[in-house]
Amino acid sequence: MTRRYAFEGIKVADFAWVGVGPITTKYLADHGATVIRIESHTRPDVLRLAPPWRDGQPGLNRSQFFASFNTSKYGITLDLSKPAAQELARKLVAWADVAVESFTPKAMRNWGIDYEQLRRVNPRLIMLSTCQQGQTGPHALYPGFGQLMASLSGYYHISGWPDREPAPPYGAYTDFIAPRFAATVLMAALDYRRRTGIGQYIDLAQYEAALHFLTPALLDYQVNGRVLGREGNRSFRSAPHGAYRCQGDERWLALSVSNDAQWQGLLAVLRNPSWGADPRFATQSGRLEHCDELDRLVEAWTVQQEAETAADLLQRAGVPAGVVQNCLDLHQDPRLEAWGMFQYLEHQEMGPSPYEGHQFHLSKTPGELRWAAPVLGQHNEYVFKDILGLSPEEITRLTEEKVIY
Amino acid sequence: MTTPAQRSALMAGYRMLDLSDEKGMLCGKIFADMGAEVIKVERPGGDPVRALPPFYHDEPNPEKSLFWFAYNAGKKSVTLDLTTADGRAVFQDLVKVSDFVLESFPVGYLESLELGYAALSRLNPRIILTSLTPFGDTGPGWNQQADDVVLWATGGMMALMGERDRPPVRMNLLQSYFHAGAEAAVGTMTAHYPRELTGEGQHVIVNMQACIVWTLMNEQAYPILHGNSVQRNGVFVGSEGMRQRTVFPCKDGQITLLLAGGPLAFSLRAFVKWMDEKRMAPQWMVEKDWSQWGPATFMNAKGEEVQKEIDAIEAAVTAFLMTMTKAEIYAEALKRRILLAPVATVADITASEQLAARNFFVPIVHEDLGATLSYPGPFAKLSITPLAVAGRAPHIGEHNSEVYGGTLGYSKEKLLALRAVGAI
Repeated sequence: MTRRYAFEGIKVADFAWVGVGPITTKYLADHGATVIRIESHTRPDVLRLAPPWRDGQPGLNRSQFFASFNTSKYGITLDLSKPAAQELARKLVAWADVAVESFTPKAMRNWGIDYEQLRRVNPRLIMLSTCQQGQTGPHALYPGFGQLMASLSGYYHISGWPDREPAPPYGAYTDFIAPRFAATVLMAALDYRRRTGIGQYIDLAQYEAALHFLTPALLDYQVNGRVLGREGNRSFRSAPHGAYRCQGDERWLALSVSNDAQWQGLLAVLRNPSWGADPRFATQSGRLEHCDELDRLVEAWTVQQEAETAADLLQRAGVPAGVVQNCLDLHQDPRLEAWGMFQYLEHQEMGPSPYEGHQFHLSKTPGELRWAAPVLGQHNEYVFKDILGLSPEEITRLTEEKVIY
Repeated sequence: MTTPAQRSALMAGYRMLDLSDEKGMLCGKIFADMGAEVIKVERPGGDPVRALPPFYHDEPNPEKSLFWFAYNAGKKSVTLDLTTADGRAVFQDLVKVSDFVLESFPVGYLESLELGYAALSRLNPRIILTSLTPFGDTGPGWNQQADDVVLWATGGMMALMGERDRPPVRMNLLQSYFHAGAEAAVGTMTAHYPRELTGEGQHVIVNMQACIVWTLMNEQAYPILHGNSVQRNGVFVGSEGMRQRTVFPCKDGQITLLLAGGPLAFSLRAFVKWMDEKRMAPQWMVEKDWSQWGPATFMNAKGEEVQKEIDAIEAAVTAFLMTMTKAEIYAEALKRRILLAPVATVADITASEQLAARNFFVPIVHEDLGATLSYPGPFAKLSITPLAVAGRAPHIGEHNSEVYGGTLGYSKEKLLALRAVGAI
């Protein structure tokens, strides 16, 4: 028995919006599951209102931000504040294996489609709710978004220079942590159900998932009382280590020397400068102790180099090194090109736009970006007619009544 | 035979051999939390990750690395020298009774030991091999080296972080490895699901550079769709020549606060109302229509004037926030539904009432240290099969007898012989 896609045959009712939920279901969609995004004109996914937009022009169906997270999915519209729409949502869940939502807790309950009610229409249902701080606890109902969560879960405080304000990561950092946990546990729950027939409810707090990238620092505080802070580009084990200015405007080279062999490799590329023989730099501990001076010496060389060439020379000498790539560099990186990192998909309104490829490849059931993200309501007819079995007359009526809206 | 506890675990009955270093161990930890049996395969003498700081009571000791504790809790440990033929034979026996192998060696290393995917799948067609690679297993980067800072740089995040007058900067604590490790868990599960239907395993290649590119939140598309791109600018975000703070100082640290109107005007109005109650809001801020204030307005305005207004707002907001601590500000923001967050430290996180109410931190006994440490608990709450941190990280080779004697059924004589030749 062979399969083209890992999750073909799996059906997902995707009520989620913004980042974490849709990124989670994208894994399933790109690997063959039938994922139906339930949206509404009355309250469009905020990512549809956010740039980057095709040609820089705003529009509900022009956001690449939305498009990137919603490949390979079907899109329908339902105004869930209306009872008839709630009834259709329950029908869709009866059809599905999985339901996912990412509202603040209460929203699904108010619409009559929380887990307690949905399990009645589908006892085998697996349902994932993911919100900022979890379904329970005193802060459960507090809304938020990824930038705030990145700050709350400690990542702003450890980014930047010790003598300055934080230099936060770009964007909604934790929105790119939580889905990795959410997708893993959702897939495991699917497999558990395959073995046992038992579905279940999953409450994933983005806060709690994100803290797993901070565990050593949490233990360090508890045991040693140390509060991890900003350390610039300092490393506990590597020197030289950091970003060094190169020829040209804002061109930088990252490199890292962690042992004697890499040190010798660096010196060879620099054609054995006289300071290379300085006994203070002869050992890794010595290099760590004198890292400031090393930084100056290394940069005196890099400023005369082209970043790409220097990275290449260092790599050949066995030194971990690479260009500090801006977004244009990424599109021209032959490594990313060989991997298929950027792919142009034909979108109904946006035309060909750059989508991110995958972070892992499978040798036998590879996933793919099966199609571009749906425009709002693109698959209403297919889903309501072919999946839910509504008649064309019913669909027309529900559309006129703005239930399907 | 499975115990009731094992039956109730999400991934009970599955076994993973974790050969990875700091780049991949979070993947094994996630599987352990889900109830799989995860066996850390260490080289004799112990895994090099045991040398990573911080240490328990700052005592450098391979049994006291908190980094090791963090990402190996709940795993078992065996020692095995894969560079010897004896060691490889033992590994092959382990592969025959396992479901997953996780590794982060340089690309091609396992093949050089004749333990690549093709060889492993001949021993066990069900096996799933997950390999973490810096730049993929083929293409021009397959043999390039990268550590955290190089991945942060080549993946595009470093260029977006830092201040204009200093070099691009990274985040502390080897973040790129954790992204890759967690992504490896997704990849491994994506291979696992069809394997259970077809009986056929496969090779999962994780590209660590790609894992960082994905964290850029679509920034890659700006040059192509808008013809411009963001440049690092510290705590500021900007558009149309204007710059706005995202982080403000307060009495004991900083607060993250996006002063945006439009759809977020409700939050800004609530904030100004609070300032006004404390008599710290200028009258013009009280009267301002915040629904019309934001990037859309900025586009049609004269840059200089808008920047003047932004500066005035930020000055008033800073003066207000400087009268309070992070905790005081956050407590009030929760009540008033103002969207902000403290720039939290590990101390703040440890004291979180929300995490306490959800019993997030869990006690793990380290009987050898005479201590019970509090660990981040399950990353999700499941109604039927709760996740759990199964116990402390293992000592070096702690489970040699259990795994080699029990699981593989080796005789005492065979174990002694393997020890004598240094294979285990």
